[in-house]
Amino acid sequence: MGNKLITFTDQQLVNYQLNEESFFVAKQQHFRVYKKFREMKPDVIPRVMKKNEAYSIKLPVECTEQLAEFRENPFKQRIFKVFSRDSRGNLTFEDFLDMLSVFSEAAPRDIKVFYAFRIYDFDNDQFVGPADIDTALTLLTKQELTVEERQQITEKVIEESDVDGDGKLSYIEFEHCITRAPEFLSTFHIRI
Amino acid sequence: MSGGEKKKRATRSQGWEEAGSEFYQESYPGDGDMEVLWKDPKRLATLLPSKQTRAVGATIRLRTQDNRTNKSTVRRHTVNRSRRDSTVHRRTSTVGIDVGDDSMLPDLSQMRSNEETAWEEIMKLKELPIPMAKKKEEKAKIMSEEHLLLQGYEQFKWKRKKAWHQFTTRISESYQKMELWRRDLKHIEGHFGTGVVAFFRFVKWLFFLNLFTLVLVFLFVVLPTILLDDREINCDEENTCYEKYYCRINESNLALSIVQGTGRLESSLLFYGFYPNEIQSYTILNKKMYFNLPLAYILTTIVYFLVALVAIVKTGSKGFRERLIQGEGQFYQYSNLVFGGWDFCIHNEKSANIKHKAIFSELKALLEVERLKEERQGRTRQERWRIIFLRFIVNSIVLAILTLSGGAIYLVFNYSNQMLNKDNTAKILQFVYEFLPSMCIVALNITVPVIFQFLISYEHYSPLVQIRMALIRTVFLRLASLLVFYASMYAKIRCTSQFDPDDCAGCTGRTNCWETFVGQQIYKLLLTDFAIQISITFVVNFLRAFLARHIRNKFIAFIGEQTFDLPKHVLDVVYTQTLCWVGIFFAPLMSVMASLIFFVLFYVKKFACLVNCKPSGTVYRASRSTSMFMVVMLVSYPVALAPVALTMSEIPPSVSCGPFKSLTTIWTLVENTFLDTPSAVQSMVGFLTTPAFAIPVFILLILLLYYYTAVNSANRHMVTVLKNQLVLEGHDKKFLIDRLLLFIKQDHDKRSRLANHMVDGDTITNTSSLQS
Repeated sequence: MGNKLITFTDQQLVNYQLNEESFFVAKQQHFRVYKKFREMKPDVIPRVMKKNEAYSIKLPVECTEQLAEFRENPFKQRIFKVFSRDSRGNLTFEDFLDMLSVFSEAAPRDIKVFYAFRIYDFDNDQFVGPADIDTALTLLTKQELTVEERQQITEKVIEESDVDGDGKLSYIEFEHCITRAPEFLSTFHIRI
Repeated sequence: MSGGEKKKRATRSQGWEEAGSEFYQESYPGDGDMEVLWKDPKRLATLLPSKQTRAVGATIRLRTQDNRTNKSTVRRHTVNRSRRDSTVHRRTSTVGIDVGDDSMLPDLSQMRSNEETAWEEIMKLKELPIPMAKKKEEKAKIMSEEHLLLQGYEQFKWKRKKAWHQFTTRISESYQKMELWRRDLKHIEGHFGTGVVAFFRFVKWLFFLNLFTLVLVFLFVVLPTILLDDREINCDEENTCYEKYYCRINESNLALSIVQGTGRLESSLLFYGFYPNEIQSYTILNKKMYFNLPLAYILTTIVYFLVALVAIVKTGSKGFRERLIQGEGQFYQYSNLVFGGWDFCIHNEKSANIKHKAIFSELKALLEVERLKEERQGRTRQERWRIIFLRFIVNSIVLAILTLSGGAIYLVFNYSNQMLNKDNTAKILQFVYEFLPSMCIVALNITVPVIFQFLISYEHYSPLVQIRMALIRTVFLRLASLLVFYASMYAKIRCTSQFDPDDCAGCTGRTNCWETFVGQQIYKLLLTDFAIQISITFVVNFLRAFLARHIRNKFIAFIGEQTFDLPKHVLDVVYTQTLCWVGIFFAPLMSVMASLIFFVLFYVKKFACLVNCKPSGTVYRASRSTSMFMVVMLVSYPVALAPVALTMSEIPPSVSCGPFKSLTTIWTLVENTFLDTPSAVQSMVGFLTTPAFAIPVFILLILLLYYYTAVNSANRHMVTVLKNQLVLEGHDKKFLIDRLLLFIKQDHDKRSRLANHMVDGDTITNTSSLQS
């Protein structure tokens, strides 16, 4: 009982070679990630995962919300929705690994910006509009700002970043704005 | 229906369509899709080339095709240049659109991918923002194609490249695992956010810098002395000045000498005085080799100062670049806060609450700044004059305080020296007088910033400017106290009369081994500073925090609650580092002390941060913090460099001890060594200092500076031009899409009308045939 959880056999790792080449999470840390994943619901997730189970077994969103790294995140619901295959927040192990890979330190800026845009686009209309910003503000400040203050801030944000004057931020404008935010790379990351 | 499914996928990942060949064959989508298309114009936009080139398969193929030297690509370009003169000529789009045309020409472009290109494509897959499943599909697709096997030299090159890549990845992974203090950093990050972590990374960086200095000094100065020094000290007959000095060092109590740096410590390797001034010789394999210790001493000093400067500038330029970008967009404050404000690393409920509050207060602060700006516009002239007057008064008070502190340090130093020179003082009083200057400096460093903090509220600055002013003033205080300290020592060690090499003191009235004396003073200052920092953190502040946590009293809360004030801790650290830099010249083994101090300092600061402090309300930005640290380091670097440079060039070294005993100044050793180099080198260096060389170089540098300034301003102008153009392009695109939509709709209406008409015609003919 003292041994580490055996997650992948060597053969499976070889089959799963894509890990090294498509994730930014180091291969050695995959064990840790899998341990975390399994801890959420040990009765559902097997100790040794077969290859196709990595993308078929789903964890309901209530389980992932309890993870320490995500519990306090105001955007957690939206993050799970974005990364899950079924767009409802239920993550498979592949989605989970994908998510942690995007949030790791080694992921390049472009990937982070892309996913940040999708996270902040709450209504999925491919634009970050005033409603999205308002929602983000409410989540960020836990409803402590008044409605006028929120409106003022939303106006200011749109004023700062909107280039083509349509009153909302497209992907290009969002990317342009985020490139000016040097903390983005350091805040938009989760350590495992 | 494949068309329908394709459109469903479009909703999920709009703009990231998979460009299959279907998109290139047809100019417009099929009939069945048109209904869907004109209902939602945005989907039409996915057909645009700008969206296509981002698609997975096309990008990879096109990118790697660009890399290969491809004759047919060139041919395609020349054909198309005439057609595409006016539009922006993007290579990828050209190649993409030509795939359709190319069906006429023989398929020379279908260059079979070899192993290397396939491997490169897979590497590039990693960076694309698509879900894992798609990446796996793509990889399978790439792997299933036939690849040419490379042979011979190509294969060797490629295999080497692949092995190197794997090697570097493995090294970086294992380095990440072994990273010093990783768990501590994560812990702090979870509680306090990334700005505070930047400070701890800074301490780690300094620790490694000091470690490097330690290795350097140890290898080239200390080790040769230990191994090769074979001087014999004859204390019965004191012939040389060195023996006279060495034998007269009184060995007092060991504990006292450790704390004060006198006694046994004074005559040890720790201080400058011990090192010999001869060229050491040793034999290896029956060959006599020489090691010039004095020269090594100078060179290690120069090297570690240079390395420190380069490290500071390099690290600072990284942050500075980001700061410049940010400065140009000072206009992104709100967006920055909303989109980059939440620290995703936080996983502690208390810290999360604090962070929420911090973001809230920062937003409120921004709104307040807006309000203040409006108010300032509305200020009357009288009020403006009043505020200027107040600021002037406060600044003069600050200057007065700084001068007073400087004077106080000078007086205390002289007084304690006076008292120490009297022989009939008690042992315990002697101890007090030894440490009086250091205690004075430390006391000033603690109390005066509090006074500054109190004064700054009268100046009505905006919060950001307030923080900066406070920082600048405290920096001045710390560095000024150091400078006065140097000045008071300088008064004691310089030569007032003519330098006399026969006199054991060098000049009349000087202590016998003044470098050791200076080293001792710095040693004591460092020790005092460190000891007081530890005692304040672990005793005073801990008690305060303990009381504030357990007793619910407003007064106790006022004095007990502390926040982790980043500027103050940064100054502590930088001040320690400055002292170490100066100290290492006068006491080489102080490098050991420095490394140890920084190692312990990390844990001391961690304790102060996690146990004593609550997370502060101000949101510290990581990038801005790092550049601030480097600026403070850069400001204090000259304060460390100046005394060493002065010592090396002006002050005659002491005659009775040290590696530079027989010289008029330390720099003459370098000059003499230079004169020993071959004449070619000498004449070349001589040429470099003549006006014939210096003036053209100077003019060239000024021209370069002017050129870069011009390029910089042109780039800025370009940025505004491009921004405007972007807006216009957006309008154009919108206009064109609307027109296209209109056209499709009209076409669709026409066709449906035609179809209906035919159906009507059929029924008419049918009925007519029925009737007939």
